[in-house]
Amino acid sequence: MKITTRKMLDRSFSSFGLFSIVLMILALLVILVPIFKRGSTAIVFNGTVEHRRFLLERFERGDEQEMASEITAIQAAQKPVYDMIEHFENRQRKYLDALNEPLTKLAKRSDSIGRLTKRRLKRLDKNKPFLTNVKTIQKLTDRLKGHVDSDNIQAEIEQLDATIQKIETQTKNLVELKEAIRELLGPAPGETRPVLLRKQYGQTRWDRAQVKLHEVLYIEKWDYSNEGMGRKVFEPRVEHFRGTEIEPLFDYMETNTEAMLRPQLTFYWGFLTDKSMDIHIFGGIFPELLGTVYLTLGAILFAVPMGVIAAIYFSEYARPGIIISFLRICISTLAGVPSIVFGMFGLAFLLNGCHLPKGVLAGSLTLALVILPTIIRSAEEAIRAVPRTYREAALSLGASRWRTVVTVVIPAALPGILTGTVISMGRAAGETAPIIFTAAASVAATLSLNPLQVWDQPTQALSWNIYNLCTEHEAANEIQHVLFGMTATIILVVLFLNLFAIILRARISKKLKGETT
Amino acid sequence: MKRLNQKRIKNLWAIALLAVALVTPTTWAKETDQLVLDGSTTLGPIAKAFAEYYMAKNPGVNVTVNESGSGNGAKSLINRTCDIASMSRFMKAKEFIAAVNKGVMPVAHVVAMDGLPVLVHPSNPVKALTVKQIRDIYSGKITNWNQVGGPNLAIVMISRDTNSGTYETFHKLIMTHKVDGKKIKEKISKKAEYVGSNGGIRTRVQSTPAAIGYAGLGFIDKTVKALKVNDIYPTRETVTSGKYPISRPLFMITNGYPKLGSHTHAFVTLYLSEKGQEIIEDIGFVPVTKY
Repeated sequence: MKITTRKMLDRSFSSFGLFSIVLMILALLVILVPIFKRGSTAIVFNGTVEHRRFLLERFERGDEQEMASEITAIQAAQKPVYDMIEHFENRQRKYLDALNEPLTKLAKRSDSIGRLTKRRLKRLDKNKPFLTNVKTIQKLTDRLKGHVDSDNIQAEIEQLDATIQKIETQTKNLVELKEAIRELLGPAPGETRPVLLRKQYGQTRWDRAQVKLHEVLYIEKWDYSNEGMGRKVFEPRVEHFRGTEIEPLFDYMETNTEAMLRPQLTFYWGFLTDKSMDIHIFGGIFPELLGTVYLTLGAILFAVPMGVIAAIYFSEYARPGIIISFLRICISTLAGVPSIVFGMFGLAFLLNGCHLPKGVLAGSLTLALVILPTIIRSAEEAIRAVPRTYREAALSLGASRWRTVVTVVIPAALPGILTGTVISMGRAAGETAPIIFTAAASVAATLSLNPLQVWDQPTQALSWNIYNLCTEHEAANEIQHVLFGMTATIILVVLFLNLFAIILRARISKKLKGETT
Repeated sequence: MKRLNQKRIKNLWAIALLAVALVTPTTWAKETDQLVLDGSTTLGPIAKAFAEYYMAKNPGVNVTVNESGSGNGAKSLINRTCDIASMSRFMKAKEFIAAVNKGVMPVAHVVAMDGLPVLVHPSNPVKALTVKQIRDIYSGKITNWNQVGGPNLAIVMISRDTNSGTYETFHKLIMTHKVDGKKIKEKISKKAEYVGSNGGIRTRVQSTPAAIGYAGLGFIDKTVKALKVNDIYPTRETVTSGKYPISRPLFMITNGYPKLGSHTHAFVTLYLSEKGQEIIEDIGFVPVTKY
């Protein structure tokens, strides 16, 4: 009976263990697979001609002649769209032209109304975009209405109003349509080049382009006719243009989007090596990656020597006593302190106290403090694990204590120390809170590759900028691929560091064994 | 053991030599000019776009933008850790005095106008609220959407954190009112949820059907619905004319008027140029002048 119970317990325990391992793997998959899947879309995606045009114009990558022929091809495909819009505008323009007569009549008056109309008339220009002219007339009507002796010109105002109203509903729809098309295809030919990069190009990614195409074809509306909350409905935009020149535009766009944007499978390795353009709407994440590397290496540079020396002192020199145990407790506590506290310390002590500039140096020092306890503990454990006989042998050969430590104990403990170091590197790379105040910036120039020049420069860093883009970016919904790309990158960086630690450790212990036996 | 050591020492030397070789041709001296901006998250999109534009036009200038809230922007300016504090409110008396005491003379440049849209989830049938209704919602007197013509749903209030200029503006223009000629400041209900950024407010509102929040004009998109306040919708016209009740200027504050010809001067006057105004308008804010 007793044995069976024991066996039962044993089995249940091992099955429980197995179950938790499976659960852990599943959890890992549930977290990592979507991140990598969506993150990979930052590099591998269906790029449109706009993406290639962007790369050529901004980074001078790609073939100019090929681009030129591609552009002629898409312009040919897009031409009917712009032609239809122009025809439509021309017809609307005729309504406006009919206003010329009453307006010139008004302008001939010698009072302020005449002067006002004259000024506005000068602004009307057939070469100007149709919508600008509509706006000018609208403004004039508003001003005239507010005029003291508007009674005398009631008839003219009514005529203006009627025309404007006729045009207004159509133009409002037209403005919305043009905006939607511009977002999909980029600026129309002949339009002045906008300053903001995001307005200069159409959709660079086919998946985003399809979202925008949907916005061209349908108007998103909310239906509140039922009790309670509203329901999202999509109204075909074509309904607004039934019977006009624009009606066939929608079918044309739906069937010819591929010809207009020419998507092809793109491997955009520049995501890792390009700087971001227009706050991550275009380009890559190189500045963030470089910032993370600098901060991590800086932290290691400060923390490892200090940590190893402290560990040597603790395990080889210090005499066990109250002070030492107290210090150990302090270090353990420090390892458990939330990283934001270190961030605050960095701000208060390094920035406000020591007047260090916000930058890589201050950030590295703060991060060094975060990882120091871990490094001390792991180094101490590693040094303790070196068999006593090693030390005794060295001492018996006449080596001094220092020499013993440097030539025998440290080399033997090296695998452990290195593992601790590399794992801390992973932590330093991922920490956000300590660098918020001490090093991170939303926008800054890419760091120089010369380490001596960067110490006082604030920088972007992967961890902080993921958070910043998520919460702060005005177009966060449009750049999901960048966010996931960054997240996947930082996980990969940590993964590689850990892998590196394992391999390094294996190699060194193999070497050590080979030497000692 | 010895052989291993020798090998390692060799490796170390190689690394050290490589490092020296990399560093030698360059010097300690800085080649770049730095321009540091700190402050409001509302001005973030403008500051970031200006920074990229400016860096593209002036290679060799490093413009750094931090978005830590208007209050922190003021602190940074007072501590002289930034050149330009971007603030969505003007300095408070306390901050101003602290600045002057430290020899910092704040000069304000109004770079753009902003109307604080009151945001709800697009599925919410409520289309307009009055200032009083908004005040009552945030002070906790109105707790259900059905009290303002909506469905039977408890209101979830989202507010900015108290360090933010957007919060200050909201507090000043909505929560403060006059009763019998006396100014009364209503307190925001304890049930309100505080969020640290404009984008955060939008994220929170777009994911919560019962939510109400407020953010800068540049942060509205299709995922949230801006309400009419006192029957007026925040547009370019209603904001510049002040008809929209929660309109405000957005500041960039410098220590004294920047030296003419300096990068700081060029940067804070960027909003006067046509390109600067176009950027502001394209981001969604209201340019100061009609260009």
